[in-house]
Amino acid sequence: MDNEPPITIVTAPAFLRHDTGGSDHPEAPERMLAITDRLAEGHLANRIRHLSPRPAMRSQLLAFHTEGWLFRFEEAVLSGRTYIDHPDNQVGYDSYEIATLSAGAGLVGVDVVEHEPGAVVFCQTRPPGHHAEPNQPYGFCFFNNCVIAARYWQRQYNRQRICIFDFDAHHGNGIQTAFEEEAETAYVSIHEHPSFSYPGTGWAEDRGWGAGKGTILNLPLSPGAGEEQVLRVLPRIYKFIQQFQPDALIIGAGFDAHRDDDMSGLAFTVDLYRQLGVFVREIAREFTGGRVVSILEGGYNLQKLGSCVEAYLVGLVEME
Amino acid sequence: MFIRSHMTPSPITVTPETTVAEAIDVLQQYNIRHLLVVDGEGRLQGILSDRDLRSARPSTVARSKEREQVEAQINSTPVSVLMTRDCLTLNPNATLDDALLLFQSRKIGAFPVLNEEDKVVGVFTTADLMNAYRCLFGLGEKGSVLISIEDSGDPQAMSKLVRVMEEKQVSFTRLVRTGGGICKGKPMIFLRINTYNVRSVHRALEAEGFTIHVPEEFR
Repeated sequence: MDNEPPITIVTAPAFLRHDTGGSDHPEAPERMLAITDRLAEGHLANRIRHLSPRPAMRSQLLAFHTEGWLFRFEEAVLSGRTYIDHPDNQVGYDSYEIATLSAGAGLVGVDVVEHEPGAVVFCQTRPPGHHAEPNQPYGFCFFNNCVIAARYWQRQYNRQRICIFDFDAHHGNGIQTAFEEEAETAYVSIHEHPSFSYPGTGWAEDRGWGAGKGTILNLPLSPGAGEEQVLRVLPRIYKFIQQFQPDALIIGAGFDAHRDDDMSGLAFTVDLYRQLGVFVREIAREFTGGRVVSILEGGYNLQKLGSCVEAYLVGLVEME
Repeated sequence: MFIRSHMTPSPITVTPETTVAEAIDVLQQYNIRHLLVVDGEGRLQGILSDRDLRSARPSTVARSKEREQVEAQINSTPVSVLMTRDCLTLNPNATLDDALLLFQSRKIGAFPVLNEEDKVVGVFTTADLMNAYRCLFGLGEKGSVLISIEDSGDPQAMSKLVRVMEEKQVSFTRLVRTGGGICKGKPMIFLRINTYNVRSVHRALEAEGFTIHVPEEFR
């Protein structure tokens, strides 16, 4: 037990207060409870320590988002609106405040990794972030948590070359928007093919442009794809990251590609998430000196989400 | 649907006296492939394509001395010699459909757009047409997904689809029924929806008896 490193979970009870209207909205507060309960019951329980996030500051949010969006978001929730731009993007009175805390979870995660080299950090947070654009919410996402963490890592610790690997079932259009014209950041995404899945972006042909040419790797998967197809693309991801030579990695850890999750047509298994954890640990060890922070994105099947997260964490800490 | 809204207004033009060398510079400078030739009043005299200009120049396999001479001669030739005078034009009130059919039947790449006084008010190219249809069909709009539904021929299929979308409170922006005519493949109905929860839409449609089309290679 002594040589087993702890797992740091950055989370807060406040995440339950982002109100998506109850009824059948998939991005529900119960997602947090499903993860917490499973981790408390499972065999990782005695290795887990919890840290609280801090709200991202306005200047940190503005590293990606526009001033106009911050005002519009805050005003919408304070005036009692129940959604912004599209009924998918449900909000409650506290949602702006909780979204700043969700965006801040990654910042705490980055601090931990910088102060405790090799630390295993998972940000158990909501609302998720990877669809959020500079001036607009999309697909339950309001602030782009992964991009905000990347900008913080660059500015606070001078780790300029950041790669985000996103295995959520959906393409992280907002992350691609942030990185597609930059040479020093990279984005790799596996997701269900955009012809069949939200948000209709993430084509293999998009590889970045201008200074960012070659920094985007989209690997769309056919409906029904699972372990076999994912294991087949991992060597391409490895090679891409090897060529990019990142200083740090951020993982957009979404679990909605599980076969029982209604939000995609993909068919990942719980064990595939363990294998993804092993893969992330290996690329972090090899290319970034272990500097990696995982941030929760999607994952909506309350019966499976906890097991998927747990399996991923097992993969991250598994002894060779 | 009207050309007026999709053309490039106030296009770059040259006069008939412009030399070939100058015209090539203009095409390169603005990264365009068609150049309208107008008189001092802005009335159309002809159209030049980059291909017209390229094919006027001597072959690169010609002997070098000969090539230099011919090239110098061509470069100082006025574009009035090379331009197509009798070109097809569009009125700003023509439709995208008119333009598509003309592009196809005449195998050309651009139309000058003229007003009632025959003055040039715009140019409409195949690239403009693609952009226009991209907008009309919502291609690449973030947050949208196209669903393909096999068309069983039910005459009420369209109204049923709209009803299902309204009952499920799913916003959708395009509903297109193909089949028959010159379309290849099975008759289909295409529906562009704006929601994260694509599977629940599939389920709702299947419950109404519709079949979601997934190509064989994606099964």
